[in-house]
Amino acid sequence: MISQDKIDEWIREVQERPASAELIIRYIANRLSELASREEELAAENIELLSGRKVENYESRIASLEYQLELLKRQFAGEVILPSAEPSMKPSVETLNLLVYNHLGQVLRLETDPVGLVPGQTLAQLHSETPHEELLPNLLVISSLEELLFIFDSGRTVAMPVAQIPLSDPENLNWKQTFIQEPRIKEELAAIQPIAKMTLYEASVQASRRGFVKKMKASFLAAHIAENYIGSGVKLPADKTLGLTFGMSDDLFVMVSREGYIFSMQVDRLPSAIEEVIRLGITDHIVSAFMATHKASLLFITQNGKAVHRDTSWLEAAGSFKTKGQPLLSKERREAGIRIIGATPIEEEDWGVILHGDGTIKVYQLSELMAAGSVPAAQPSISLLSFSSFHRPEARQEQVSEKSATRS
Amino acid sequence: MGLHVGIDFGTSNSGVAIYRGKKIHVLPIDAKNLVPEVVKTILYITRDYRHFIGQEAVELYYKQNINRQRRFVKKWTGEIDYHGADMHYVRDVYVYVDELQPGRLMQYIKTALRSEKYTGTQVFGRFYSLSDIISTYLHALKHRAESLLGEEINGVTLGRPVSFSQNPDLDRKAQETLQQAAIEAGFKQVDFELEPIAAALYYELSLNKPQNVLIFDFGGGTLDLTVMHLGDPHTRRVFASGGISIAGSDFDRAIIQKRMLPHFGKGAVQQDPEIISLINIIPDWAALPELSTPLAKTALERAIQAKKSPVRLKALESLIFNDLAFSFYNMVEATKIALSSQGVVVAAMKEKDLDIWELYTRSQFEKDILEHQEQIEKVLMDTISASGMEPGQIDAVVKTGGSSNIPVFIEMLGRVFGPDKVRSSDVFNSVTAGLAIKAYQTM
Repeated sequence: MISQDKIDEWIREVQERPASAELIIRYIANRLSELASREEELAAENIELLSGRKVENYESRIASLEYQLELLKRQFAGEVILPSAEPSMKPSVETLNLLVYNHLGQVLRLETDPVGLVPGQTLAQLHSETPHEELLPNLLVISSLEELLFIFDSGRTVAMPVAQIPLSDPENLNWKQTFIQEPRIKEELAAIQPIAKMTLYEASVQASRRGFVKKMKASFLAAHIAENYIGSGVKLPADKTLGLTFGMSDDLFVMVSREGYIFSMQVDRLPSAIEEVIRLGITDHIVSAFMATHKASLLFITQNGKAVHRDTSWLEAAGSFKTKGQPLLSKERREAGIRIIGATPIEEEDWGVILHGDGTIKVYQLSELMAAGSVPAAQPSISLLSFSSFHRPEARQEQVSEKSATRS
Repeated sequence: MGLHVGIDFGTSNSGVAIYRGKKIHVLPIDAKNLVPEVVKTILYITRDYRHFIGQEAVELYYKQNINRQRRFVKKWTGEIDYHGADMHYVRDVYVYVDELQPGRLMQYIKTALRSEKYTGTQVFGRFYSLSDIISTYLHALKHRAESLLGEEINGVTLGRPVSFSQNPDLDRKAQETLQQAAIEAGFKQVDFELEPIAAALYYELSLNKPQNVLIFDFGGGTLDLTVMHLGDPHTRRVFASGGISIAGSDFDRAIIQKRMLPHFGKGAVQQDPEIISLINIIPDWAALPELSTPLAKTALERAIQAKKSPVRLKALESLIFNDLAFSFYNMVEATKIALSSQGVVVAAMKEKDLDIWELYTRSQFEKDILEHQEQIEKVLMDTISASGMEPGQIDAVVKTGGSSNIPVFIEMLGRVFGPDKVRSSDVFNSVTAGLAIKAYQTM
């Protein structure tokens, strides 16, 4: 916006005050140099546009957005049904799915109707020739319309809908007849993460077993998932990927270690580069990572069947990284060998599923566990191996009450 | 016994000073202001009746009002009687009130003292009389000063113009309202001094014989001129006083009008009254947050889509919706201040979608405020004439206030009275400093 009038005005200033001349030249020269470098940046961008590289970038971003849209459609069952072509196609019915998986990529899937769930009910009995402790099974309960992300410890990912995993026989549940998402050489399956709601969150946090975390914008993560690689999130050779969790920037991120140390911090304060946020003992490792803000309570399950309840307000958010963590267990209990197998933020109507050392998989209402302070069916001789919580859909609960009303 | 301070309760800016017999301390009463010794006479009352003054008030006003939701509801405010030749009827009057308004901003509070009819205003559910408004402001000022001094303040010497009004009753009433407000604000002892006398007190201390002096008090909101006889407190006499509502903030507005608006599309956008009206509101800092409505955003985006000067309108959108107004007005004021000491300055601001770079010279500035210069010179000559003196009979011109440092006005005073007669005050704000001296003498 330098017009001839302005130039005349500058000349007038120089005529009135010759000392201003030097300043004017300096200011204009600085501006010219700034504009020249900006022009160079724009020219480089133009070359990218002309060569099509920019177009490729945009195409990749569009593909990623389309992918996210597809996920959302699945989540809300909003896929376009073409009645003329497939008149017999039924709308998908949402059921609860229990996944049992291990580091070898073996996945067992059981389907259950949430209406019929009874606290303490045995969902299945896992038969295995090798002791369950050696296979480190993990549990996950999700909706049948969910999209899953298989996260390997190399940072590789595979995404697929739950429905693509074949159903296992609940009467004969064993690792011999499983679906396998096969790891590559030297790879192990670290976690399976539901991602259908990922786009509703601002950030994703990747955690490692040794207490390292990495925060990323959920939109960036989506772009990485489209390329089947999100990074391992580990720095140390002895460390391994734990998993992912999603949240808003003001949510409280929580990690719980097996020996009962807790790290918590607001998401927007977490590091974007991989950083060690909690210093764990040599024998300790993280067992759970989750967001706690919107749930009022936390529940910790120990391997000997104790259900420890704390209010979320009990958490002391860490002020810095590399903290020792907030202890949950007393020194005596820790030395006595008490270990945490899982932790979760809960609401009153939440449910949990626990894998016992003998292979029994049972379902519990978490409010009852909280009230009792222990897992009712746990036997002192058999330790608990894995724990996961889930939220029964509200619509289903209405059906439950309708059903019980009919019975009465 | 508590402290006794001097307070200059100005139309646009205020200040607090204390004198303990050795040195005058004009308190840095507004740390957020470009000049901390001066606090804007602005009061912001939030919906939950919290009070803020100065830059803090401005910042909160911007923060709460930019991009906020609005919901207008029709409210009955009164009725109008219509009397015709053979008929009489009454009509109801309604106004549209924004019921989501988070707070109320008040400026030019002192001007209300001159009004015969103004008694106060309704702020949400509570009525604030004029005395309540002023006392709220003075209370906040007192609280800040006490925090800085670490001691309780009991007494105050307040400045007042030579006359609030030509009507003696109204003049007395204005001073009584101000006194009542000061007492309500927590000052146990309140007295007054004429602002021009306060401005001259510091100068008077250096005199060894009586003089005819022109006080040229040129601050942020007004120019106040007083011709008086000084040197002996017993023979002090005001010959004439005058003034005009032109000062620093008008020069800021002139810079924005002439140099900044083209960066936001002025001249480039034609035949789009909606957008042109948005651009023309920029010089009014208090009105800018009111533009951040979805309607304005839609209008801007429509114009940008239509490729009507898209880069400049994107800059306008950024100014309105990205909470940049505060930095923008500060940048303009800093540019003006810098031109008092150097011939050239760059007014620059770089934010998202906004890149202002304006090489601005002193001669351009003088050209931009030429109209104001002429008005000021006229008021000056009128005041001298009203005093019954010739410029040659004025022994000294004491200039005070931030705007009195603008070179073109120093030259004007030198041209009219002779450069050797123009004296600069040793302290930043002579009125505030003089009031502190008066407060010390009163104790």
